[in-house]
Amino acid sequence: MLISAKLQKRMLMLIKRLLHAIFMPVFLTLSLSLLAQDRVVTGKVTDSKDNSPVAGASVQPKGSKTGTSTGADGSFTIAVPAGAKTLVISSAEFDQQEVDITDKTTVDVALVAKAAGLTEVVVIGYGTARKKDLTGAVQSVQAKDFNKGTYTSPDQLIQGKAAGVLVINNTGQPGGSTTIRIRGSSSIRSGNQPLFVLDGVPLSGGSARPGSVGGEYSNDGGNPLNYLNPNDIASMEILKDASATAIYGSRGANGVIIINTKRGKTGTPSIDFNTSIGASTVLKQLEVLNAGEYRQALKDYNITSGDYGGDVNAFDEITQTGLVQNYNVSVNGGTETGRYRLSMGYLDQEGVIKTSHLKKATANLNTSFKFLESKRLGLDMNLLVTQTNEDIAPISAVVGFTGNLISQALQWNPTHPLIKPGTDSAWIDPAVGATTINPLAQLAYYKDKAIVNTIVASVAPSFKITNELEYKLLISVNRSVGTRAGMINRLLNFEPTLNRGAAFNADEQETNTQLTNTLSYNKQITPALNLNAVIGYEWLTFKSRLSYQNAQDFTNVGLNYYDYMQYSTQASRQIFSYANPTTELQSYFARAIVNYKDRFLLTGTFRSDGSTRFGENNKYGYFPSVGVAWNVTKEDFMSGAGFINNLKLRLGWGETGNQEFPSGASLNRFQFGQQSISQSNYGNADLVWESSATTNAGIDFSILNDRLSGSIDYFYKKTTDVLFEQNIVQPAPGGKIWINLDGYVLNKGVEITLYWNALRSQDMSLNFGGNVSFLQNSVEGLAGFYETGELRGQGFSDVRGQRVVAGQPLNVWYLRQFEGLDKNTGQSIYTDQGNTLFYSGSPNPKTLLGFSADYTYKKWTATINMNGTFGHYIFNNTAASVLGIGNLGTRNIAKELLGGDVKESIANAPAPSTRNLEKGNYLKMANATIAYRVGNLGKSGIRNVNLFLTGQNLFVITDYTGFDPEVNTEATFGGIPSLGVEYIPYPSSRTITFGVNFSL
Amino acid sequence: MKHIRLFLCLALFLTIFSCTKLNEKFRSELDQNNTASITASELLINAYNSIAGTFQGNGNLWSSATITSDEAIGPTRAGDWDDNGLWRSLHLHSWNADHSYLSGAYNSLLGAQFAASNVLQFNPSTQQAAEARFLRALSMYWVLDGYDQVPYREDLTDYKKLPVTLKGLEVVDFIVAELNAIMGDLPDNGPSGATVANKNAARALLMKVYLNKGVFANRAAPTFDGGDMDQVISLADQIINSGKYTLNDNFFDIFAPDNDIKSSESIYTFLNTGTSARGSDAMRGFTFMVSHYNMNPAGWNGFSTLSAFYDKFEATDKRLGGYYPYPDGLPNPGHRTNVGFLIGQQYNLTTDVPLNARNPATAPLSFTRDVKIRETDPNTLELTGIRVIKYPFDYTTSGDFKKNDFVVFRLADVMLMKAEALLRKGDNGGALAIVNTIRAKRGASNLGSLDLNGMLEERGREMYWECYRRNDLIRFGKWLEAWQEKAADAGNANLLFPIPSNQLAVNPNLTQNPGYN
Repeated sequence: MLISAKLQKRMLMLIKRLLHAIFMPVFLTLSLSLLAQDRVVTGKVTDSKDNSPVAGASVQPKGSKTGTSTGADGSFTIAVPAGAKTLVISSAEFDQQEVDITDKTTVDVALVAKAAGLTEVVVIGYGTARKKDLTGAVQSVQAKDFNKGTYTSPDQLIQGKAAGVLVINNTGQPGGSTTIRIRGSSSIRSGNQPLFVLDGVPLSGGSARPGSVGGEYSNDGGNPLNYLNPNDIASMEILKDASATAIYGSRGANGVIIINTKRGKTGTPSIDFNTSIGASTVLKQLEVLNAGEYRQALKDYNITSGDYGGDVNAFDEITQTGLVQNYNVSVNGGTETGRYRLSMGYLDQEGVIKTSHLKKATANLNTSFKFLESKRLGLDMNLLVTQTNEDIAPISAVVGFTGNLISQALQWNPTHPLIKPGTDSAWIDPAVGATTINPLAQLAYYKDKAIVNTIVASVAPSFKITNELEYKLLISVNRSVGTRAGMINRLLNFEPTLNRGAAFNADEQETNTQLTNTLSYNKQITPALNLNAVIGYEWLTFKSRLSYQNAQDFTNVGLNYYDYMQYSTQASRQIFSYANPTTELQSYFARAIVNYKDRFLLTGTFRSDGSTRFGENNKYGYFPSVGVAWNVTKEDFMSGAGFINNLKLRLGWGETGNQEFPSGASLNRFQFGQQSISQSNYGNADLVWESSATTNAGIDFSILNDRLSGSIDYFYKKTTDVLFEQNIVQPAPGGKIWINLDGYVLNKGVEITLYWNALRSQDMSLNFGGNVSFLQNSVEGLAGFYETGELRGQGFSDVRGQRVVAGQPLNVWYLRQFEGLDKNTGQSIYTDQGNTLFYSGSPNPKTLLGFSADYTYKKWTATINMNGTFGHYIFNNTAASVLGIGNLGTRNIAKELLGGDVKESIANAPAPSTRNLEKGNYLKMANATIAYRVGNLGKSGIRNVNLFLTGQNLFVITDYTGFDPEVNTEATFGGIPSLGVEYIPYPSSRTITFGVNFSL
Repeated sequence: MKHIRLFLCLALFLTIFSCTKLNEKFRSELDQNNTASITASELLINAYNSIAGTFQGNGNLWSSATITSDEAIGPTRAGDWDDNGLWRSLHLHSWNADHSYLSGAYNSLLGAQFAASNVLQFNPSTQQAAEARFLRALSMYWVLDGYDQVPYREDLTDYKKLPVTLKGLEVVDFIVAELNAIMGDLPDNGPSGATVANKNAARALLMKVYLNKGVFANRAAPTFDGGDMDQVISLADQIINSGKYTLNDNFFDIFAPDNDIKSSESIYTFLNTGTSARGSDAMRGFTFMVSHYNMNPAGWNGFSTLSAFYDKFEATDKRLGGYYPYPDGLPNPGHRTNVGFLIGQQYNLTTDVPLNARNPATAPLSFTRDVKIRETDPNTLELTGIRVIKYPFDYTTSGDFKKNDFVVFRLADVMLMKAEALLRKGDNGGALAIVNTIRAKRGASNLGSLDLNGMLEERGREMYWECYRRNDLIRFGKWLEAWQEKAADAGNANLLFPIPSNQLAVNPNLTQNPGYN
């Protein structure tokens, strides 16, 4: 026709070509992808150690950027290109594995856990670092290594777990306070507790739990960390030397403990349940006489009165088996761009003393998001809400001659019935003395309740400006409100309140805010040089307020006096309110970690702190530090030494500060009384923070295929400008003034930590861990001496047993020397008739020891944790002034006073002397656990079932004769805290718990 | 790119917004930059509370003046009151510079001195300034009496400037000048206004200063200048002739809970209202320190007097005590002794049932004459020693705060000081007349003659347990002698208390008194 056949042919060819050009690639692609999709691989990923499933592990074909993750049961299904030969399986705690999938449709992968040691990432101040890059003394304790059992606060989880860290439970009261010392006490007067940082939020160290008012209610301040749920904690980092803590500046001198809570994990949502139920009993009872022994003693001493014909054990009557229940549930899940964890916990702990009870409900939500396509914008949000509700037993250390519940029970005449015959109420019998208090009456007529509500909320947006540069902002608010109410019934024969009764209401609030900006830069600058740097600005404010009312003269109508305070008499009422001056801290800080070829490491930090507390003339403090480390194993000359896997030498120096003195100390202040004003102090405008300079040298090593690893550290810490409330030259207001002393406090020592994977096989593993620290403490350059260590009891008014004085350890004992009992008179013999006192030893432990072992056989695991302290002396004030021989005839005495070589005279006056100064060495089985991994319960969906039986405080090996050598009764005098006094404390308890963990 | 800019702006904004000046803001106190609203009257109330707190209670000042003398002892009763030997060392005169109560008294008095001086910085009225200067003079007098060295701050604002130390007669001159300067500005009160610093209080203090001037010049061998004695007499006459004061018919009315109404002798007292408003909770200590556990109020069973001191009284002397009926006291149907010297069987003052001891519970609670400094016999530990109650116990007030005003200066003391001055000038007759006037009122027989020993004895009988015994014993040269449960002092060092080591350590302008380390 019009187009020739030749042209037609050509056009057809063109069209074909065109079509070919367009569609062939499509076809090819399609066919290729068909080819690529043409096989599916499934499988299961488990932990090689115990065959437990590994959830959330990433599964990718090698070379591909996309993949899948394993589900909660460890299984995965992935579509791979036809030619794919290898899958790469990776998960955070395990070594990455590549598995061959050539001609396979199913593979099972057993991942090997990363060896403990230098490959972890640890949290350090304001950032994270690889453990191998650290130059400071930092110890990381993971949740699996925490002490097992039921605890109220996080510090108990690491007791005995870290070298150089001393944790003492001051009393056996549930939720009671603890003393924590990292590398010894460096402050004489101001706080010695370390700084706690919770997910980047520095805590104030205080709590809103009000103190009691009037009467002799428990004086223990409680543990300020009680609002945290130990079950929520994933790990804790303990920063010990200045090159690690200097970035915390004027709050880092006592060490820093960083608490990291558990975060959401990627994967499908899962629920974990942890529940346990247990019982607590008194760990040790002091030996006093029973009725028969008492009667015999009366005969032996020719005492005609004191036998009332009965037979009772008063201490048994005030103790009980306390039920401990702990329930925790957490839900977590998420994806790469959004993870969450919601946990709720409820702890209900009855103490071993009747009426004491702690209940705690916590809820914790944390979420982590990444926004934008580039995932550069991050947002973390945390919300923690807790309520602690306590019924507190009336056990105080600051009591008059009528004692507290424990002394009343110990001293009760075993031949006098406790219950009035014909009734069921406590027998207040004038025959035993008008002022002798029946312990059952004390229990029945005292009430003391405290409720504290805490919220910690934080928001942290972050932005990755480039791959190396990230900006992060952290804003947090910590608000805590506490109330406490108590009453003493008018029926109790306690002289100040007999026939009158007394009640108080107290409340306290604390609001702390934080604003922290950081800019971090993390780049491999050259193949040999890696830089991890951060600069930042932080602004903290602390605000608190308290008030109370206290009154007397109530009537018994069956209601609590503190609920109708208006009935009280006008004349007896006392009211008080106080708002602390707001404390603000403004800081700039910077850190750089330089890594050269993984061989040489250099860290430098600098912080400038300004505080409202410091005097006019010194508002800002500057805290630098520098640390170097050498990874010896990376050197060529070490390539032959195959048995050494890692060897690192560290050296660091830094300056940190301590600003724990009351606000207002730098200014002249005027306080209010009723219609009156008085000047309370002279202010010191030159007041500065206390400064500690620490030098630390350490070795980290790992040998024999990482089977044996550990560290050795030597530290030398000198604290100058020691904050001190010194006697001021009279005439003056208040008698004291805050100054920085000319002297200094020295702490030096050696810490050794070891881990040994003794046995690792298919069915069995055996691991040991231990740490030991040797500490030496002394005070130098102080003019004169200062007394502390208030010893109490009948015949012990105005007695101080400790001194702070140059040339001696802090709080050295200063007592008269006991030489024995006189054979003829039965009276105590003292050196120089007791007119001279001598320095008699230190209450500061010289050696700390922690030891743990765990053994796994197939599905069974046994773990033990022990800890001990040595080289110190405790004053047994309970034995000294509560159970003396002079009580015979009216009250009970200690059993050990009878049957000795010399018969002690009834009239031998109890006096503070070395007779009751005892060695405090002890080794404690802190907890032991047997666990059985049941695994998954068939098709029910219940997975990872674990059963465990745990015993806490099982036994103590010690020569100390008091309740528990782990004790620190409050005996502060003149503002100087004491150490090592035991005075009728809430007794320690032994707890056995049975628990179940499982997931859905 | 714009994301980066946005974030940097935000960061900068937040940083600037939060930069603060770091000044402390007080919310429940005032600091030195905000004192404009503080008035002198508020500080003056504090100054009164401050010096009252020094005296009231059985420790510190009271114990340094009383337990150290022949009129009281704090025995160690097996377990009770050992207290590291604090009380024993006071009676035995074996204290050292670390003694808790001697140091406490010194620091307490000087703290009161500061509180009084501070009033002068805040625009006081003329009378307020005069009251404050009186209180300051009173505390300085007591420091002089006990320790001889009185630190004095000229500039109260700069604590770094060390106070000058006034010694001995320098203090005397200072106090005399002060009291004469303020005399015209003090109110002219009688017993009803005795709680406020007044003219007669200033005169009484001046009398003390003049009477003891010779002692402050030379404690080991004092001489008494006729001119000083004349001053004492003329000041006494001004007080006595004002007509405001008369000797009380009932001796214990002077010290009763409502002594603000009942006492006709009070020249200057510390106000106690029985509530926390004004007053100290330590007044109850004066009863508790002697009272046994089974008595009402149940006390701490400790201190007592010495039998030789008790024997100085005639049987009819009303100052010995006896049954004191007072409204709101216990019913006391048996009219048992409840004030003064308690000896022999004690009774429950509500039911009149005889009381027993606590241990042994079968022993009658009967206080014995003799007491040892260390009681060791288990059968009698609790019972030994005659107890003394000078201030009748206030049963009305709820709690620890008692209403009895603490008596500092009263008419009988003034009269006795006049008598002593006359005696030292040689006028035995004049002195005797005054002493017999007082004795007549107190139910004791007339004395035939009077010498210095007799004068001291009469002061003992009249002013027992009122904090003046030590001062009297030193002035009459008896302080270093032996008496019951105490040996004679070796050397003269104990005529003065040691300056507390905690003050020596910080004040280079103080030197330790002779004889102490």
